[in-house]
Amino acid sequence: KQYYHNRKMSILEYNGAAVIAMAGKDCVGIASDNRLGIQYQTVAMDFKKVFKMNDTLFVGLAGLATDVQTLDQLLRFRMNLYELREERTMTPQVFTNLLSNILYEKRFGPYFAEPVVAGLDEKGSPYLATMDLIGAIETTKDFVVSGTCDGNLYGMCETLYKPDLGKEELFETLAQALLASVDRDALSGWGGVVHIITKEGVMSRELKGRQD
Amino acid sequence: MARRYDSSTTTFSPEGRLHQVEYAIEAINNAGTSVGILAKDGVVMASEKKVTSGLLAPARTSEKTYKLCPHATCTVAGLTADANILIDQARLRAGRYAYQYQEPIPIENLVEHVCNYKQAYTQYGGLRPFGVAFLFAGYDIHHGFQLYQSDPSGNYSGWKATVIGANNQAGKSLLKTEYGSSSSSGDEMKTDENPAKDETEMPTTVEALRLAVKVLNKTMDGAAASPDKLELFAMTLDEDGNCVHKILNAKEVEAVIAEVESETATAGDS
Repeated sequence: KQYYHNRKMSILEYNGAAVIAMAGKDCVGIASDNRLGIQYQTVAMDFKKVFKMNDTLFVGLAGLATDVQTLDQLLRFRMNLYELREERTMTPQVFTNLLSNILYEKRFGPYFAEPVVAGLDEKGSPYLATMDLIGAIETTKDFVVSGTCDGNLYGMCETLYKPDLGKEELFETLAQALLASVDRDALSGWGGVVHIITKEGVMSRELKGRQD
Repeated sequence: MARRYDSSTTTFSPEGRLHQVEYAIEAINNAGTSVGILAKDGVVMASEKKVTSGLLAPARTSEKTYKLCPHATCTVAGLTADANILIDQARLRAGRYAYQYQEPIPIENLVEHVCNYKQAYTQYGGLRPFGVAFLFAGYDIHHGFQLYQSDPSGNYSGWKATVIGANNQAGKSLLKTEYGSSSSSGDEMKTDENPAKDETEMPTTVEALRLAVKVLNKTMDGAAASPDKLELFAMTLDEDGNCVHKILNAKEVEAVIAEVESETATAGDS
């Protein structure tokens, strides 16, 4: 049963999400909000949409929660199999192509999720990519966004982003861009989480935001 | 006499034997030896690497030891090409189980799956059996560390220590006398104070590695043991409870070989 509203919600908005990733100097950052809702009813405040695939590769998945979970599980399965057979770790580029392939396989009955890939390639340079729900890839050098407030996220990124930020500054920039964007979106928010990936390791921090 | 009943896998002989399966087992007895030993804190597997030609490009990956999933590894004796098919099957099975149940596959479950796959080739299709025997080493929360052996018939069993491949009978007889009776901690006395018999008899992975090398020394029939002829593998748990799969590097293998040599040298004195 829904509360009173006139707007018809698309399936990609059903659960709500905000995901953002940015490149810095020899580092990448990726962040998501914590909300899980069923249309306008909030159901969980600890539903994170960023998943660690390995020490230098994260994927963020915005969209229908069941597909977010399923894709995470599927990707871990496929990555595992790859590493057993090839006896080497998967690079972010290969991972992106794998994900695109998985999505396109369901071209006429797709997973309702729009992913964001953030990692460091073998040389340690930042790698960012995004795609639509049927696997059209776009790689960028600066930032990628996805979710119910992607318009807000784009605006915040364009304004706040500077190239070659250090990991502390990158964290601040990501956090501000995410929090300001979700505050103007009813379907995302309830705090967030940020991961900054460098060659030395991953720094993860919880974000305190408006709990509404 | 067996001629009439041995060309088809799907036919029993009058004595109730499947000759094709038995011939497959014979094929494995010509392959490089592999020994597996269950330890208190892990499982070890040691294999003989058969170098067939000096012209062969140095292998970047193992020809004997294969990881199947985060908590299981196997060694192979027999036709490598056949083994590759089964290893991939095992990897797929472990991955699909983990995907479906979001839980690591129990080791016996994995072994049984591979064995059921092998069994089908002894009953259907008019295809020959796989000429491979495996040693599976794994860990799960249900039964801890485990060691299994499987053969072309699709039969499997759990072992505390076993040998497959060339001269496996000699290896097994050595294990019968040495497994469980070797204790390097000299002050451990066989008294009534040692209640849990199984616990005290099990070696540690360090001791098991030495015993494994001893077994291979016997089965390799006097050929000098060296890191390029032996592959040593040990599975243990790290402090977070995750499985560690370790294929020892050349220096570590040398160290174990040296320890075994000094042990056998002093053993003659006592």
